[in-house]
Amino acid sequence: MAPNPLANWEKIGNSFYRKIAVYDAIFEDDVELENYLVAGAPYGGAIALHRDETKPLRLRDGQGSRSTVDVHSCSGQRINRINWEQATIRGLGWSDKEELLIVSEDGTVRRYLGLDGEFTSFSLGNVSKSSSNESAMLIMHQGAEEYGVRACQFWSSGLVALLSNNQLIVVSKYDEPRPRLLAPCPEGEVSSWTLIPPAHTLSRSVEVLLAVDKAVFLVDTTEAEEKISQNGPFKHISVSPDGLSVALFTAEGKLWVVSNDFQSEPSEYDSKSRVPPSTVTWCGKDAVILAWEDEIHLVGLNGVASKYYYDGRVHVIPEFDGVRLITNDTCEFLHKVAGVTEEIFRLGSSSPASVLLDSVDQLEKKSPRADENIQRIRSSLPSAVDTCIKAAALEYDGFWQKRLLKAASFGKSVLDLYNSDEFVEMTEKLRVLKSLRDYRIGLPLTYEQYLRLTPDGLIERLINRHEYLLAIRISEYLQIPADRVYVHWASQKVKVSTVDDEAVCKLIVQRLDGKPGISFEAIAQAAYNEGRSHLATQLLNHEPRGGKQVPLLLNMEEDELALDKAIESGDDDLVNYVLLHLKSKLPLASFFRLINTRPMASALVETAARGEDTELLKDLFYQDDRPIDGANVLLTEALRESDRARQAEKLQLAARLLSDSKEPTVVLNQKLVTEASQLLKAQEALDKDLADNSEYLGLSLNETIYRLIRAGYSKRAQKIQSEFKMPEKTFWWLRLRALVAKRDWGELEEMAKIKKSPIGWEPFYNEILGAGNTKLASGFVPKCTHLPPAERIEMWVKCGMIVKAGEEAQKAKDLNTLELLRTKASGPAATEIERMINQLRPRK
Amino acid sequence: MAPFSGSDADHFKDKARRDLLTLLEGVRGKKNLVISQELAGPVGLFVKFSELQDYGVHRVFYLENANIDSSQRNVVFLVRGEKARHVRIVADIYIERHQDELTFILSTEQIKRLQNNGNVEHEFSIFFSPRRTLVGNAVLEEAGITGDVNIAELPLLFMPLEQDVLSLELDDSFSDLYLHKDPGCIFHAAKALMGIQQRHGYFPRIVGKGDNARRLTDLLLRMRKELDAEESSGLADPSARGLLPSSNVESLIIIDRDVDFGTALLTQLTYEGLIDEYVGIKNNQADVDTSIVGPASAPQPQESSKSPQQHGPPKRKVQLDASDQLFNQLRDANFAIVGDILNKVARRLENEYETRHTAKTTGELREFVNRLPTYQLEHQSLRTHTNLAEEIMRLTRSETFRKTLEVQQNNAAGADSTYQHETIEELIARDVPLKTVLRLLCLESCMSGGLRPRDLENFKRQIVQAYGHQHLLTFWALEKMELLQPRSPATTMLLPTSGAQAGSKTNYGYLRKNLRLVIEEVSEKDPNDISYVYSGFAPLSVRLVQCVLQKSYMVSLIKGGTPAAALNNASTMSPGWLGFEDVVKSARGATFSIVQKGDDKAVRARQTLSGNSGTKTVYVFFLGGITFTEIAALRFIAAQEAPKRKIVICTTSIISGDRMMEAAIEKGSFGPADTK
Repeated sequence: MAPNPLANWEKIGNSFYRKIAVYDAIFEDDVELENYLVAGAPYGGAIALHRDETKPLRLRDGQGSRSTVDVHSCSGQRINRINWEQATIRGLGWSDKEELLIVSEDGTVRRYLGLDGEFTSFSLGNVSKSSSNESAMLIMHQGAEEYGVRACQFWSSGLVALLSNNQLIVVSKYDEPRPRLLAPCPEGEVSSWTLIPPAHTLSRSVEVLLAVDKAVFLVDTTEAEEKISQNGPFKHISVSPDGLSVALFTAEGKLWVVSNDFQSEPSEYDSKSRVPPSTVTWCGKDAVILAWEDEIHLVGLNGVASKYYYDGRVHVIPEFDGVRLITNDTCEFLHKVAGVTEEIFRLGSSSPASVLLDSVDQLEKKSPRADENIQRIRSSLPSAVDTCIKAAALEYDGFWQKRLLKAASFGKSVLDLYNSDEFVEMTEKLRVLKSLRDYRIGLPLTYEQYLRLTPDGLIERLINRHEYLLAIRISEYLQIPADRVYVHWASQKVKVSTVDDEAVCKLIVQRLDGKPGISFEAIAQAAYNEGRSHLATQLLNHEPRGGKQVPLLLNMEEDELALDKAIESGDDDLVNYVLLHLKSKLPLASFFRLINTRPMASALVETAARGEDTELLKDLFYQDDRPIDGANVLLTEALRESDRARQAEKLQLAARLLSDSKEPTVVLNQKLVTEASQLLKAQEALDKDLADNSEYLGLSLNETIYRLIRAGYSKRAQKIQSEFKMPEKTFWWLRLRALVAKRDWGELEEMAKIKKSPIGWEPFYNEILGAGNTKLASGFVPKCTHLPPAERIEMWVKCGMIVKAGEEAQKAKDLNTLELLRTKASGPAATEIERMINQLRPRK
Repeated sequence: MAPFSGSDADHFKDKARRDLLTLLEGVRGKKNLVISQELAGPVGLFVKFSELQDYGVHRVFYLENANIDSSQRNVVFLVRGEKARHVRIVADIYIERHQDELTFILSTEQIKRLQNNGNVEHEFSIFFSPRRTLVGNAVLEEAGITGDVNIAELPLLFMPLEQDVLSLELDDSFSDLYLHKDPGCIFHAAKALMGIQQRHGYFPRIVGKGDNARRLTDLLLRMRKELDAEESSGLADPSARGLLPSSNVESLIIIDRDVDFGTALLTQLTYEGLIDEYVGIKNNQADVDTSIVGPASAPQPQESSKSPQQHGPPKRKVQLDASDQLFNQLRDANFAIVGDILNKVARRLENEYETRHTAKTTGELREFVNRLPTYQLEHQSLRTHTNLAEEIMRLTRSETFRKTLEVQQNNAAGADSTYQHETIEELIARDVPLKTVLRLLCLESCMSGGLRPRDLENFKRQIVQAYGHQHLLTFWALEKMELLQPRSPATTMLLPTSGAQAGSKTNYGYLRKNLRLVIEEVSEKDPNDISYVYSGFAPLSVRLVQCVLQKSYMVSLIKGGTPAAALNNASTMSPGWLGFEDVVKSARGATFSIVQKGDDKAVRARQTLSGNSGTKTVYVFFLGGITFTEIAALRFIAAQEAPKRKIVICTTSIISGDRMMEAAIEKGSFGPADTK
């Protein structure tokens, strides 16, 4: 007999709510739920129970003397028991990934990864460091530790803790927890509070609603804004799952629902109870649950309510699409009936989908009405099929799921064209959901929750429960990667198995052979954590990704192997990391030995050391017998040195380092380094004699001489030239340039009197011309005897001496050029040129 | 793996922009952005300051200046994760802000303390680019601030300079690779190329030359294997498993810079190349004296806060990229004909402008007015480039330029280099910039297998005397980079037959002949060979690319046939180095050609699906840097291959001979003023 689809429907306002019994016989009778704090993970996840220490305890043998947190599945199976020996628990909550978070009074947060009892912990008190503000620092210091955590609230990826001095601390992600302080709150008695998750706030970071005395404040990182200033105190405050509405419960026993900006007129419901409910939470986004010990009011937005009564204490676990109600006997899910479901099942419904469902009945009865029905809804048949598929998803009961799918199937068989993908996918999803809802698994996911959790998240949860087989089956069924499952299985195997390393390794490798994406590194890490380092090494050999092996190898003190693997990976960062690690760990000699045979490693060490640790470099080069490199380090140091004496010392040291070798390049380098010291000494002397402050020190040799000449100290310059054996050519060039720069035409004229110049006379012409003295420049033209006449003509022209140029052309008997020159010439020069042309022109 | 629409350049640009803005959005409220100098330019390539402002950036500071004020509560750092030193500065600033009483500061960087410290509680965020490193973590941990800052990654890899040029913009890649032998940028490059592979599928073939190129390829193969391993078990569906060889990519050609140092040492003679030589182009921008191009026409609001205090003559940033049509026309032309082009354009503009007089109807007038902004823009660009070209012309007319070029051309042509020594000595005595002199010496060393030890000693002494003794370190660095070496007895005779010792040095003598590097009669105006870019010298690096892509052209070129005819039937019949193995062996380093196979069945299935039509892309990766002139040469090839192939040029950075020298030149001096 088909169960009545309308069973447990309650009409509240315009919409229906229904309560579905999911599991029964949840807890043993001796678990007195009224004495427990209960927190449930979202998406039908595990439930954590902790005995409320404020409640009186009935003394029983042994049990109860120790504080524990029990983790159960929704069907009541105990998954784990965590012994708690820390300070009093002030917050119990879950993240989206089903990590249990326990916050103790002293501000310690423990985050349990998986459900196995492995945890990491951090403190809410360490915020003190991040604050430069002195007053803030003070508060934070005393913050979590001194004032103590009063309560905690959680959202999908973070938590907010309320301290007993009304301060709020936020941790927005658990991977790298950074406790931050929200803006300081007004003093007063906090009667209730709640958080608004980041997804629903304007600032995109978490905000808190705090009911203090008669008012309600919205607190974010910068300020506490008063939203309601009277009518308090509010005993409860709760934000709807979509963040649009806020429910407030007043001391007079009234429930108000307002929009999130607090501007709208509140809708009111009078509970007529003087005792405030133990829980006020939302059921979906359109109704609020008020829960007392054994009574529940479901209040719609328009103030209409429906009441449920229980035998014992009932706990409410909110989901985004409804609430789970947990009692000793049952686990129920209370939610709003979706539009499609209502459309089909509502009494007297005549919607196409409802008709379609009916025709399946008719079909079974072999009644012609089946066909009549179809004809009647023909035009809206596709949407009717869609509706049936959607309704099947939302149905919890197998019978009606089948029934609805059958209707959909029948409907689409009549249609000519219909894309069945959705239908097929739905059957797959429903199969998965059914297997999960089994009480042995205990994951009562609704369809909507499944969509939000994603198949990956689902596999994660199965792994947490060690349901490997089901996880693999589902992975295969849904065609999603199963590597995580395998890795987790293998890690677990390593942890629990007692057989010897070889056998375990063999077993694991055998099982995982040919499965892509397996991270042997993770398994090896698990083995290492269990203290089975031999097994870990063995497993690591199967890891294809070199880079992944490195950190573990370092942990295992397999230094050389780690370095090799890092080099193999080609990742310089990894190599640097290993080197950094090894340098601090090994004695210098063995460190050098290690890198010596590995060029990449030594190159990286050298590069890194060049910037920061020249001593290391010197040691390295000394050990390697590389005198030039060693001397170069000293040179670099000398360059950085500002103290003259120490600089000289460094240079001397460098020269000494180089003096041992007979190799020609080394010998040359040694000479030049010595020369450098000499030059510096000579320059010091110059500075003392000629300049007020240091003018010559640090210049190059050429520059020194150039400046000396320019300043008129030719004698000194000559002395330096001979002292440093500067080539004559260079010296002449320097002299020329310096004199030109000095505009010392007289001296240049003197130079011109010398017979021969080692650099020729052309540079003189060019430089002097460049300086604008055409007259002097022209003096050098006749001296450039080796140049062809054409160039000399050009030179004359550049000096503006057309006549001279003409003479040159005449000498060369170059008539064409003369013609050209004539065009440039003017005045007497022109006649002169004319005369030359006439002379040259062959007489006819 | 479906064929993606849009070019790689657009894709990477868009992605980088989105990544950065998303990260910035994640930091609530106004913020000060502190950026390391080497990242500032690249970031400017894909995001405008106004856009940053939209995302709440108040002011931008350079990390190196360490002068951030505390005007904003949020401080965002954007640094390279590989640079431990930078991370350390970040740590310093952080500690500075937070614990005034702390006297220990990790590095010696001078950071000014802020007077109004401590009044504002700062929120620090650090974005590491391209990745968060273990070493960076260690530094932050050492400083004890790991838990107190927000840390995120900004995976900036390829930055599109142009539609066909992707650069990693790693300024230090040249010195890292060849001086410090730090292979970090190879890893970086491999990651970036993996990005391309993940977009298009595997390169069906990787052809390469040079030891570092080999290393890069090994990394690529390795990463592919690791990716396959990571690629989760896709079970029944093969298309979801692993990547397949790409159907629209032909191959990847990797050229290691050290195969051909010689080309990069020559003075570039294309327009863009010369601008780079004389003004310097960084991230598509050149800082030109306003005395040359005139002051910035449009006011640049807020820019002042971005650029540090400028000394010397005022500069104007000139944007040099394809958005400037005129520049696009000029950039790859030999400088010899730039004047002509400018003249032509000037005349055309003039004519078009004159049409306003002929406009009769109101419609025509309106059309003219509509086009007016374009004219004005073109006009402005014309003015800028005419001025720039004139300035460059002035420089190229100078005596030192002439002498330098002469020495270079002689070296490139293989003339006896000892005759050039006198000129070089004169240049030293005349105090031309050290870079110029060193370039000439290095060029000689590269082209003829080293300098005679006696000559080298001589030059060493002269240069040290002329430019300062600190340049002993410069010489040491050049030697380490194998740019400037004494000729060893074994290499004195670089004869064509000496194939046995191939691999240690590039034998320009042999290659010059066998790959026809020198082509005297090339026309600069209407080029028919890539050698136009250096007025008669074809870059070896690009010739190597031609050996892979334009085999028949190369064959006919070497045999002396008519190259134009051969181009038409150029075929892809023989892949890789086939046909040129022996020749290529005389260039330095490993030679390889690797086929990346995928799952056979899947490949065949896809081939039948997609057919074998359409343009195939060839990626040419220059490891260690590429010059603008080589880019021009590659574009020339790309134009020849046009409908059949598309060439995308990838590189670690844009390089020039000067930049190569700068990597080696010691910057300190013994003078008292510079020691600090």
